Amino acid sequence: MATLTATAVATRPAPKPKKRHPRDILNWIAVHAVALALGVGFALPIVFVVLTAFMSDQQALTSDLWPRSWHPENFLTVFEKAPMLEYFGNSLLYSILATAGMLLSSIPAAYALARLRFRGSNLIFMLVIAAMMLPPQVVAVPIYSMWANLHLTGTLWPLVVPYFLGDAFSIFLLRQFFVTVPQDYFDAARMDGCNEFQMLYRVLVPMTKPGLAAAGLFTFLYTWNDYFGPLLYVGEKQDSWTLSVALASFRGMHQVQWNLTMAATVLVLVPVIVLFLFAQKSFVKGITFTGVKG
Amino acid sequence: MRTPRRAALARAATCSAGALVLLLSACTAGGGTTGAQDAPTADQKVSLTVYSAFADRELGILNKVLDGFHAAHPNITINSQGSQDDDKITQAIRGGNPPDVAISFSTDNIGQFCSSGAWQDLKPYIDRDKTDLSQIPKAVQDYTQFNGKRCAMPMLADVYGLYYNKDLFAAKGITAPPKTMSELLEDTKKLTEFNPDGSIKVAGFIPQFGFYANHPQIWAPQFGAKWLDGNGKSDLATDPAWTEMFNFQKQLVDFYGWEKLQKFTAGLGQEYSPDHAFNKGQVAIMFDGEYRTAFLKSDVPNLNYDTAPSPVADDKADTYGGGYTTGTIIGIPKGVKNAGAAWELIKYLSMDTNALVQLANGLGNVPSTKAALHSTDLKMPAQFNTFLKIFDNPNLANNPASPNGGAYLKTAEDLGSSWQSGQVKDLHAAFAQADKTIDDAKALGGN
Amino acid sequence: MTATLLGSADAPAASVPSTGRARRRGRHRKWVLLFLAPWAAGMVLFFGYPLLATVYFSFTNYDGLNTADFVGLRNYVFMFTSDPLVKAAAYNTLWLVVVLTVGRLAFAMGVAQILTKVRNGSGFLRALCYLPSLAPPVAATLTFVFLFNPGTGPVNTILGWLGINGPLWFNDPNLSKPSLTLLTLWGSGELMIIILAAMLDVPGDLYEAADLDGAGPWMKFRKITLPSIAPVLLYGVVNSIIFALQYFTQAVVAGSVASGSADAVGNSKLIGYPDNSTLTFPVWMYNEGFRSYHMGYASAMAVLLFIVSFAFTAILIRQLRAGKAEAS
Repeated sequence: MATLTATAVATRPAPKPKKRHPRDILNWIAVHAVALALGVGFALPIVFVVLTAFMSDQQALTSDLWPRSWHPENFLTVFEKAPMLEYFGNSLLYSILATAGMLLSSIPAAYALARLRFRGSNLIFMLVIAAMMLPPQVVAVPIYSMWANLHLTGTLWPLVVPYFLGDAFSIFLLRQFFVTVPQDYFDAARMDGCNEFQMLYRVLVPMTKPGLAAAGLFTFLYTWNDYFGPLLYVGEKQDSWTLSVALASFRGMHQVQWNLTMAATVLVLVPVIVLFLFAQKSFVKGITFTGVKG
Repeated sequence: MRTPRRAALARAATCSAGALVLLLSACTAGGGTTGAQDAPTADQKVSLTVYSAFADRELGILNKVLDGFHAAHPNITINSQGSQDDDKITQAIRGGNPPDVAISFSTDNIGQFCSSGAWQDLKPYIDRDKTDLSQIPKAVQDYTQFNGKRCAMPMLADVYGLYYNKDLFAAKGITAPPKTMSELLEDTKKLTEFNPDGSIKVAGFIPQFGFYANHPQIWAPQFGAKWLDGNGKSDLATDPAWTEMFNFQKQLVDFYGWEKLQKFTAGLGQEYSPDHAFNKGQVAIMFDGEYRTAFLKSDVPNLNYDTAPSPVADDKADTYGGGYTTGTIIGIPKGVKNAGAAWELIKYLSMDTNALVQLANGLGNVPSTKAALHSTDLKMPAQFNTFLKIFDNPNLANNPASPNGGAYLKTAEDLGSSWQSGQVKDLHAAFAQADKTIDDAKALGGN
Repeated sequence: MTATLLGSADAPAASVPSTGRARRRGRHRKWVLLFLAPWAAGMVLFFGYPLLATVYFSFTNYDGLNTADFVGLRNYVFMFTSDPLVKAAAYNTLWLVVVLTVGRLAFAMGVAQILTKVRNGSGFLRALCYLPSLAPPVAATLTFVFLFNPGTGPVNTILGWLGINGPLWFNDPNLSKPSLTLLTLWGSGELMIIILAAMLDVPGDLYEAADLDGAGPWMKFRKITLPSIAPVLLYGVVNSIIFALQYFTQAVVAGSVASGSADAVGNSKLIGYPDNSTLTFPVWMYNEGFRSYHMGYASAMAVLLFIVSFAFTAILIRQLRAGKAEAS
């Protein structure tokens, strides 16, 4: 399974040295030209965002591409205009709690589905898939009503609690991981007299740390990027806003100030990029497990 | 053997879920008291939360006026939160954490606020304190109540009129602002300049629906177009004024050419930015509200412009002098604990002449009582007087409240968009279809 | 299924053979119950109950503040006969389902194919392709609306250098959805990596053999690559369909920023700017339910959305079952 930074062409044998056909050279040029264009195409949006973030108020409203004067204080102005640190804290709290809750509730469920044979296990797996594919808007009205009647809107509770009661996608992902652990380890542990719970945290968890990390990372990222949930549940209380809602509302009273908006966008992108740089392998492992096995 | 148990379980689950649904939907967002709650006595410490959509400088102005209230009522402290739009106010009420006083920039939702009880009925308070509603113009009274239920008071009003660039007028030899629609058409043709490549350089008057302040509800009073007939049904197809209005608008659009007009407006500055097309002399005549004078004063103080009442349809020349009005509204949400204290604040913000004059001066809006309107303390640019006169004119009109908010305005504007881009072949049929949509949508929320 | 899980604790053991294995299965059950308990609670609270409640609310007039009044089929009649915006919303969402699915898969396959052929710096390139997919949707949408601003955005500026008159992108009703598609393609890195991994897993000998037979690149792709990565493609199709059915954030942010409105979700009169072209089904549902006080009507819309998404879910489940049957 591929990692991003390793040139994982190991599965394809090195090409036998062939006569360099002119067509091959053209091919090589064409492929690499397209690849270069792609790379530029993917990177350019971020480049322009960063450049605009440094522009002055007036220049940001023009079509200039390169800042005439550099205004790093824009980033500070963003913090003045809106309590970004507070929103950052809210986002962090939401994501951390959700990830913790997910791990607590989904690992046992995935273990049961992956390794314990019982009647109805297939049906439950199908239910998990069905829940995974349900658009959240379908059930928004009654769930919102429920939280409103409990007077918990405007807080992070409605967002976090569902993760403590199992997360369908994580259960699916973890199950795919757990299925690949060789049975011998469990048999050995059972021979030692472990019960299921001990097998879970003594055998399974240590062995599947990369998979757990991937699932945790996905939950963290999904909740970090969540907009609809926070819009619905914490939209009314500005103190409880998360970064996504704050960024969408980041506008002057009367107009969009592109330099400040782009500066705020950069601030929201930075944590994600940092996370990616530290956790690349986990990401890739995770997503290949969702797709390749089908 | 397995089946009965599963069926029983399923039945139990459905029943309990059903009971849960009924139980949870029966819970309301906090009870409301009928009858007027007493104002707090001088020794009762009360804290009021005020939600408004104001921000930055404007929030500061509101807060100063709120300080004045606190000075008069030292036992009442006020916590003012800005940037709270209607969505947030609605969410807060639904979630059971309403502000004590809600200020909304939009009269669109008054129908919903009143009919759903989201904002409380103010009649008991008005009757108890004998508040003099005759101070408030009729059109303004209309947009603060729905179906006879008054759930809001006005706090400053917006009045729409005509802005024109005197320098551009002088250059083309036009001496007076247009008073009728045909004059507007003529002036537009004279004032418009094109670039060598055919694109628009300066537009005499931009007729594009949805752009800047061009909305059907703002145009309606100028043609005497009525939204509802005598039975409360949508009147777009049967009131000939609408057809006249849309046909006139098309004349203007066709003069430019729709593609050119669209390209031109896409490149103009944002509505509330210093790059506004009127500021830069890219448009000579426009409809806009009285608040524009404050923006012009701060962004382009040297611009040579003047204001006048908006022109009217040729056959309605005797209605000249009126205009469209809407405004900021203020009310007490459902489930508020200190309704009595909230009412005191509302009374202050909506009826106290000093407070209104201070707000008007700071925000550049029209004060919403006759007393404040004629106050000598109003400090406005000369061009503002037009709006005071329009506000006093009996032809002042607004758009009717509806139980589903501004949905019918959107339907009309969508029709306007299709119309101006040439997608509508049969205007009458389109109006009839729009009427049906508006009436059906209204019935959706009714009982 | 619930019967086996919850009822088994005191189920008669008559049908179970009394062997050691049965005893183990009995202990088994306790753990299965325990491990699945949080998930089961979650399913009832956040899946089962809300689905039933949504169906119930769809037959009522419910404004979120007062009790719901039963009104029978009124919401459904309005939805299917009178509401022009629900038609626009349904059309927009279906447009997105088709175009985003085809677009994402085609683009991801194309990029992955290129990436398989690049040796030097492939890791860096892959990282570059994947990174945008991590960007928060709000940030990504703001980025693109800024880039494609018709007057001052970099895209039209660069097009201007090339002598091309840039179109109105997010402000043009005919181009707003294509612009959103470009945004989605920029963020399809996840799918690319999966497809890339699958493509690299295809044994090289197959291609060598095809070369010997004189097969051209397109032949090779059709006959070897495509069948081999079919499971991944299925995943991609399903994933894209679900993504398009829920499409909310990007539509709402793009519409509100492009229209210049000051509200987070946009002025309710301008929702779906321009000209209702960005009004997706979930956006209209949100507007009707949470801003227009028509929670009953929004629930009726939710039921329709559920039926459509369930249809796709059922197809996927059938495919998975078939796959499992084949494998076992």
